[in-house]
Amino acid sequence: MARLFENIDSIELNGISKLYSEHYAVENLDLRIEGGELLVLIGASGSGKTTTLRMINRLVEPDRGTVIINGTDTREFDVVALRRSIGYVIQEVGLFPHMNVGENIGLLPGLEGWESGKVKKRVSELLELVDLPPETYASRSTKELSGGQQQRVGLARAIATDPPLLLMDEPFGALDPILRRQLQDEFAEIKRLLGRTIVFVTHDIDEAFKLGDRVGVMHDARLVQVGRPEELILDPASDVVASMVDADRKFRHLEALSVRDLMLPLLSKYLFPGATEVAQAFAEMMDWDVGVAIVTENDQVAGTVRRRDAYRRRLEGLTMAAIAREPLIFEPGDPVTTALTELKRAGASFALVTERDQPVGLLLSDEVLMRLV
Amino acid sequence: MMDHGLLLLWQDYNLTARTLEHLAIFSVALLLSIAIGFAVGVLIFRKKKYSGIFFAILNTVETFPDIALLVILIPFLGVGAVPTVTACVLYSILPIARNTCTGLSGVSETHIRAARSIGLTDREVLLHIRIPLALPMLAGGVRIAVVFIMGIVTLGGLVGAGGLGVPLMTGIFNNIPALILVSGTWVGLLAVLFDGIVASIEKSLNQRYGIW
Repeated sequence: MARLFENIDSIELNGISKLYSEHYAVENLDLRIEGGELLVLIGASGSGKTTTLRMINRLVEPDRGTVIINGTDTREFDVVALRRSIGYVIQEVGLFPHMNVGENIGLLPGLEGWESGKVKKRVSELLELVDLPPETYASRSTKELSGGQQQRVGLARAIATDPPLLLMDEPFGALDPILRRQLQDEFAEIKRLLGRTIVFVTHDIDEAFKLGDRVGVMHDARLVQVGRPEELILDPASDVVASMVDADRKFRHLEALSVRDLMLPLLSKYLFPGATEVAQAFAEMMDWDVGVAIVTENDQVAGTVRRRDAYRRRLEGLTMAAIAREPLIFEPGDPVTTALTELKRAGASFALVTERDQPVGLLLSDEVLMRLV
Repeated sequence: MMDHGLLLLWQDYNLTARTLEHLAIFSVALLLSIAIGFAVGVLIFRKKKYSGIFFAILNTVETFPDIALLVILIPFLGVGAVPTVTACVLYSILPIARNTCTGLSGVSETHIRAARSIGLTDREVLLHIRIPLALPMLAGGVRIAVVFIMGIVTLGGLVGAGGLGVPLMTGIFNNIPALILVSGTWVGLLAVLFDGIVASIEKSLNQRYGIW
């Protein structure tokens, strides 16, 4: 099926409304999305953000108003052709249980008539992109995947035919906080590689600020403000926006907080003996959704390995001790401000927290925090 | 002595040929039932509006005692294998169609939404998502049909279809307990065997496609 557009110049939502039995899910919404940007729609559940997203690929048809892509009203497009030109990722992922990972990703290219060699090559490429080694994962059943792995495959499936526009509906919403941040970091990099236009729905302000070029705040079926993250922080248009971007009011009292208050407790799944082979450790990290391995030798911390690094070096036949790097280390009693300043200076995304030489937690950097320090 | 007698009995009443005849009718009836039952199931699924009428008709057919259905067909279709196969199919459409329809409807909304949102047409959703995921249910329906068909093919001996019903009738009308015992047990064993085969197919489909 012919692609309707190869690039997005602009998407215009002109006064769109959607009524569900007498009340508005979305009311008179105007929004212009520029080609190449990542626009985040944020709001509480029921604020209309998902409905807005679905009106772009016509999963929901607006009762009033128009959606214009590159100057053409989407109602003039064939709906199937429209959706094939747009990638879509949802929180529940919705991988097809009767197909393995490779078949899920290759479904659409196959239906588009790609020859099987080309489909296979594309599947490998995409699995590499989302950090799942194709040699292990292409033929794996989707039932054997963890939540994080499923979401990776869901993303790979959505971009299989390299659509110019990607819609993402709370893709990381069901994941635990550490993993969510890990995937956000990776996604930020993937986004840079793809250079595609993306509309992203979330209810997590940190995620919105981390990923969004611009952020649109929705409240009660209306779009209340759109702007760059700093504009929302410095110049909120209403109390709703102010309270949302200021949800981390606690950080105003940052000086009073210590590392203990903000660290994430350490689980045993993060610990790896130094003698573990990298390939083996990487496989376990994938299975347990671990983003950072803490490498121990003789009950002492020998260093840390990010999963991305384990992935890149999995074929070199080394042990974890050999590739472990010295992390930043803090004590639970250290003030958060000092810790964040040091993290920022080192350009690190996390630090290890130890108490009497025993690891007790992880401190993850956070863009909002960084900006406030 | 007993073995020798069994062998003689087997040869005298052509039980090998009867078995082959029986299995031939059984296979034709089963394949036709699967094809038609599946098609009807998909049709009912696609025309939900008429599903009530469809099922009412099929249920009515199902309530006819099988022997009554078989003899009713004789005035229209004559005697022999044709009315037997027809009765088998009429009887098997319901379980196969019902299970197909249930299987197709039972595919989770998440998967359907995911499929539609990445741009699959209705036809592709049916072909690539719904039908594969409905296969375990379909196999369940086929399993019920296997048991029905084995019984009706045996009754077919009454209306000149041949098969293992013939030696059974001969045994009854001529009072030959050994023949009744042998052919009856043999038909029973065949039914158990085929049920087992379909059950194992159902199990492996469930492992691959199972969502239930």
